[in-house]
Amino acid sequence: MAVMSRLAERLPSEDSFRSELRSPTVAARVGLWLGVCFTVCFLTGLVSHYAQNVDHPVPFPASPSWGYRVTQGLHVVTGTAAVPLLLVKLWTVFPRLFARPGRGVRALAVTALERASILALVGSAVFLLVTGLMNSAQWYPWAFSFRSTHYAVAWVAIGSLVVHVAVKLPVIRAALGADVDDTTLDRPRTDRPGTDGPGTDRPTERGGGLSRRGLLRTTWAAAGLAVLATAGSTVPLLRKVSVLAVRTGDGPQGLPVNRSAAAAQVTTDDVGDSYRLTVAHGSRTVELGREDLLAMTQHTVDLPIACVEGWSADATWTGVRVADLLALVEAPADSDLRVTSLQRAGAFGTTALQASFVEDDRTLLALQVNGETLSLDHGFPCRIIAPNRPGVLQTKWVTSLEVLA
Amino acid sequence: MSAPTGVAPTPLGLRLALGAVGVALGLYGAWLLWSRAEPAQVLDALLWAASGVVLHDAVLAPLVLVLVVVGARVVPRPFRAPATVGLVLLGSLTLLAVPVLGRFGERADNPTLLDRDYTAGWVAVAGLVLLGVVVAGLLRRRARHAAGPVAPDPPGPSDRPGPAGR
Repeated sequence: MAVMSRLAERLPSEDSFRSELRSPTVAARVGLWLGVCFTVCFLTGLVSHYAQNVDHPVPFPASPSWGYRVTQGLHVVTGTAAVPLLLVKLWTVFPRLFARPGRGVRALAVTALERASILALVGSAVFLLVTGLMNSAQWYPWAFSFRSTHYAVAWVAIGSLVVHVAVKLPVIRAALGADVDDTTLDRPRTDRPGTDGPGTDRPTERGGGLSRRGLLRTTWAAAGLAVLATAGSTVPLLRKVSVLAVRTGDGPQGLPVNRSAAAAQVTTDDVGDSYRLTVAHGSRTVELGREDLLAMTQHTVDLPIACVEGWSADATWTGVRVADLLALVEAPADSDLRVTSLQRAGAFGTTALQASFVEDDRTLLALQVNGETLSLDHGFPCRIIAPNRPGVLQTKWVTSLEVLA
Repeated sequence: MSAPTGVAPTPLGLRLALGAVGVALGLYGAWLLWSRAEPAQVLDALLWAASGVVLHDAVLAPLVLVLVVVGARVVPRPFRAPATVGLVLLGSLTLLAVPVLGRFGERADNPTLLDRDYTAGWVAVAGLVLLGVVVAGLLRRRARHAAGPVAPDPPGPSDRPGPAGR
């Protein structure tokens, strides 16, 4: 026991941290924006997961064509902005990690529960930001599936965030209602704002440290800088400024590639003269070569391609309307389709194209992009392009379209 | 904590209901995690989450404490606030740029991914931030000199880790 108590004395306690910047008035303000970012991230993530589901009990709308691009751009932008916000938030509340629990079984239990919720919150928040950033750079050094794990942990994060708000609500309300320099809520042994330390009244400016307002402004600036430095992947205006963006937005035929033909194990032999597209509706089937597709009425649309991984780009697509292909097998335009790719490797080799997209005139089986025949990496001989959809579902190297019963 | 003056107390029922909603959402996430992956994958995910907490609490946070203590000893006073601003801006930006700076996801078959010189970009941003810190520091020093002599330096930063209550 004596050893333990001596050890406890050597450990830092809440009172070891004296900076007046680590105040609830600062934590609540940073926390508010962090909460906004996490909520936007969560909701836009739900949109993307719903869009990727095979079944849409409520049809996913095909309009506006830029909807998915904007929600997923927001997802990555708010997630990126959350990095500096989370770091500063954790810094302001770091002393709480060393708070001694109260005495008595009840106090211990309450402390343990609150600590558990904080552990879940910090663990899941850090996990989401780290794996999300790594995913946008396509770096996967782990054993779990990124998509399903990121999704599950997002529910843990939003749940523990709601618990945290419930626990802290009185402090949050008081802190947000008070001036940022108010000391009512500070830990008792914290220095007073605007001074250099205990017992002095020298203004902070003279001492050289940052004021609370200064720290807040710095935090907003850090979040803004993080966004400016990365958002060029999805905001064309920022391309020149975003020196840390995962993509310039350029590529062969003016468009980036997410998965190359080599990665999908599609070869030129697969798409040579023997290539046939199968369109099937029950027992009715037609087979079309590339020349047959070119002989059909061609349509041109401007549609963005937007990837979950945080990049998007505009392009002009030319090809055959999917609805026209269905007419060949006498299938109604409001059919759900199964789209199969020639790809041998990677996820999304078979995708669903729901009626809400099939019946839209802008949904094409594209043969050209930006005025040129699709290159193999862009899905030669043909790929799906539909408005307001995740890029992973804009299936390349399409070999069959089947009407689902 | 007792409600400070000027703010009406938050009803306990509201907080309990909110807490219950939060627990339900979190448990749903835990169930999703467990039911849609192999146990080894779940363990790997938990390991990644735990590593994040440990890396922050045991490595990053102490490192920042040491930086602040050392910074307060070696950085002249007019430069302290600008240097802190620079640390927050550049520190957080560098951390979130690790995946692109390391080019870990680079693929020979896809030159459109990670298609920038990220080291040069980082050096450019770091240079601008550093320039801003130096200029701000010099301006503050001049303003301080203009204001006339000041009292001797007080002790450095007050945020020192150490034995409790001393």
